Amino acid sequence: MPALPAVPALPALPSPTNTSDDRDRDHDLHLDFPASTGPDMNLVFDCSPLPLLMLSPSCCITRASHSFLRDWRISADQCVGQQLTPFLQTHMRPAGVALTRYITDAIDDAIAARAERTSKPVTTAHASSSRARVIPVFNGDQLIAITLEWNGRPLGLSENDIVTPGLSTDEAFRILVQALKDYAIFLLDTHGYIATWNMGAELLKGYKREEIVGKHFSVFYGMDDITAQKPQMELDICLREGRVEDEGWRYRRDGTRFWANVIITAIYKDGIHVGFGKVTRDLTERKASESRLIAAYEESEKLKSDFLANMSHEIRTPMHGMLSACGLLLDTPLNERQRDIAKIMNESGQVLLQVINDILDYSKLASGSFSITSDIVGITSITASVVRSVQTTLQPTVHFELSLASNLPRSVQGDPLRYRQIVQNIIDNAAKFTEKGYIRVESSVQAEDEDSFTVLTEVTDTGIGIPEAAAAGLFTPFTQFDATTTKRYKGTGLGLSISKSLAELMGGRVGYRPNPERHGSVFWFTARFRKIKDLGQIQDWKHQLADIDGTPLSLPTTDIAQVQADLANVASSRTILLVEDNLINQKVMLSMLRSLGFENIDLASDGLEAVNLVRGKPVGYDLVFMDISMPIMDGHKASAKIRDTGIRVPIVAMTAYALKGDRERCLEYGMNDYVPKPVDRKYLIKTLAKWLISAKDYRRPIIEVPHEVSGELSKSVDPKVPSPVVDVDVTMTSPQLDESHLSL
Amino acid sequence: MADADDRYDEGMFGMPDFGDHVDNGIFSQILEMDESDDDRDFSAPLVGNFFDQATETFEKMDHAVANKDLGDLSSLGHFLKGSSATLGFTKIRDSCQVIQQYGHKLTVDGAPEPDSEVCLQKIKDALKAVKVDTAELEEMMKKFFG
Repeated sequence: MPALPAVPALPALPSPTNTSDDRDRDHDLHLDFPASTGPDMNLVFDCSPLPLLMLSPSCCITRASHSFLRDWRISADQCVGQQLTPFLQTHMRPAGVALTRYITDAIDDAIAARAERTSKPVTTAHASSSRARVIPVFNGDQLIAITLEWNGRPLGLSENDIVTPGLSTDEAFRILVQALKDYAIFLLDTHGYIATWNMGAELLKGYKREEIVGKHFSVFYGMDDITAQKPQMELDICLREGRVEDEGWRYRRDGTRFWANVIITAIYKDGIHVGFGKVTRDLTERKASESRLIAAYEESEKLKSDFLANMSHEIRTPMHGMLSACGLLLDTPLNERQRDIAKIMNESGQVLLQVINDILDYSKLASGSFSITSDIVGITSITASVVRSVQTTLQPTVHFELSLASNLPRSVQGDPLRYRQIVQNIIDNAAKFTEKGYIRVESSVQAEDEDSFTVLTEVTDTGIGIPEAAAAGLFTPFTQFDATTTKRYKGTGLGLSISKSLAELMGGRVGYRPNPERHGSVFWFTARFRKIKDLGQIQDWKHQLADIDGTPLSLPTTDIAQVQADLANVASSRTILLVEDNLINQKVMLSMLRSLGFENIDLASDGLEAVNLVRGKPVGYDLVFMDISMPIMDGHKASAKIRDTGIRVPIVAMTAYALKGDRERCLEYGMNDYVPKPVDRKYLIKTLAKWLISAKDYRRPIIEVPHEVSGELSKSVDPKVPSPVVDVDVTMTSPQLDESHLSL
Repeated sequence: MADADDRYDEGMFGMPDFGDHVDNGIFSQILEMDESDDDRDFSAPLVGNFFDQATETFEKMDHAVANKDLGDLSSLGHFLKGSSATLGFTKIRDSCQVIQQYGHKLTVDGAPEPDSEVCLQKIKDALKAVKVDTAELEEMMKKFFG
């Protein structure tokens, strides 16, 4: 620091007490320039290009160079005469921080060492990384002054802040990129050949700089990607969009692969495309943890479903016990109050059972263990029968309209049970939420190709409707669209979600829109069914059975004692054939029938025996109870054989531990009804009454009653309004496809 | 007084507690077919017949297990399931269901189980269990019918 005057020629030592004199003198110095004695040392100091401060030994600021005042944007008045520490504190950034210590420490060091020292960097209001070079000035042993030379970079070029002093920006970035280990960062030329290589690239991809530079970047891609021309496509997209991002497998030099996130950016210099920047990250770890998370999630979902399925099953068994006990209780003499209570128990039990069945279905659907069977579906009869069963539960203020398009096929191949479940769910929902107005059910063929029909069913209601915000969550499990409806309407909130899954299993969809005409909802669903090519035998059965009609939709469920009494009146004149291979079951069934007053009961212990007995007495039996699983000939085959001989005696199937689908199968084999085993006495009474009292005798001459069902429907909708559009196929009248006869 | 206590102990259907062996609702229907509660002329021989049938069926099952005849096992399972269900003997019924299902090479849930050895083992286990359950129940029934 040559400019610093460690010379005796310096004027008298400035002191804090004579600052005004100093200033006066300072002022004078500007004016007075005695050439004879050389430049005034104060002037030399003031005019120095370096930002300088002079301090007294007690660290009071005695002088400041013009350069200093300019850099710090202050006047001499604002610093000269002040103590250094408070002065600095007001100019530090952030203000008042303890970093002034860096300066004072350097001063102490310099005095102690009698040598110059440089402080650690501090940030001031005007410059970052400002360092003070401290020069103590001694006259012999006496400290006479301290000079501070400030060295810093002015603020305003913030992008440079991160660069260590001494490095150019370019150099710093180059080092940064070069040294980064976690990212492969390199440049490609305009054709995709590698131009630079960094440490990260070397570590990640295993190539040394010298062996990779000049090669095409497609070496990192797998064969599939190269065949698909992915590298070139990425460059093309990048040129078009400026940037492209991709995740996928990339290959290292040793052939191992890693899951990479790649970002390619097009680079332009002065508007000319000069190449591509490529940044690759290794996401193998992240991907692995993602798949672990997904696996854990799936596992927990599966456990949940399994748990639900198991629990539902465990709950269902005692539920059945409770309900049958309750049924027995209702058969005993009870006073009115007791009967009401028992009825509530019974109804609540039924609701609970439905809930459990829903959960069981849902958990099966969720776990993917739900299968769709392939059977014959009578679309029109299923829809009509659901409509009729729901109709009885409707308030009189609700009109029901059923419209079946004339192009609907008679029978198709699919899962009749599941189809019915969706129809039932959606129509039930409409009935549940509609208190007045109408419910309209429309079925039509939405699409048809060589092998299949897509059937669209729409259910329009004038019920409470669905708020727009809730529409999105409609098909989410366990959702009822708000808390108030949950309280008002019972249910699990599973119905629609089950319907959705079922429809999807059948190649269809489910949807909702608001009723366009008035307040209410439209729920629709589609399902795809295969066409049936050969209808042969089914048509035969239909033909044979077409005249059995007149069976009631359902029996009043209340007065079982009355039904039993009616049955007892006719029992002695009726002949029943019981086909059952298991002696125990035979005895129990026999005993039940006898207790109801039946005396003429023939027994057969296998299907063949049954067929022979029936053939022997073509008009001898009033009803056949048929076990399904039997040796020699099973119940299905026996029933089919009986039908083949043209005998139309009602056949009621019995099978243990029945699944829902069994019923449909029995019907398709020409049987008329179904009793689950173990046979419930009350259920048996109702079934007997239905076929022996209510149903028309199969031996009576055939009277053609075409379109009976449609007539009945329009009548029951509302006698005052004109008949709604009902276009039901004649085949609907055939009971073996019409399940409404089963609803008890 | 003593009578009333006894009746209380026997539960609402005049039956002792058979635990999870018996579905009381179904079994009580069988008992109701008796002319009188003192003389169980219908149910007693019927239950006796059942245990004879069970013993006979188990013998056939043992034979079928020895021959590894899954089809036979399935129909035997179905057969005994039918009568045990009719009487409300739930534990026996459930084991028979297991035997029937695995005889069809299906799990209890209806999923396919292609490994015959696995099926046979499941059937052996179920058969062992159902024999024990049957013996237990037979003991209880003997006490009940006196």
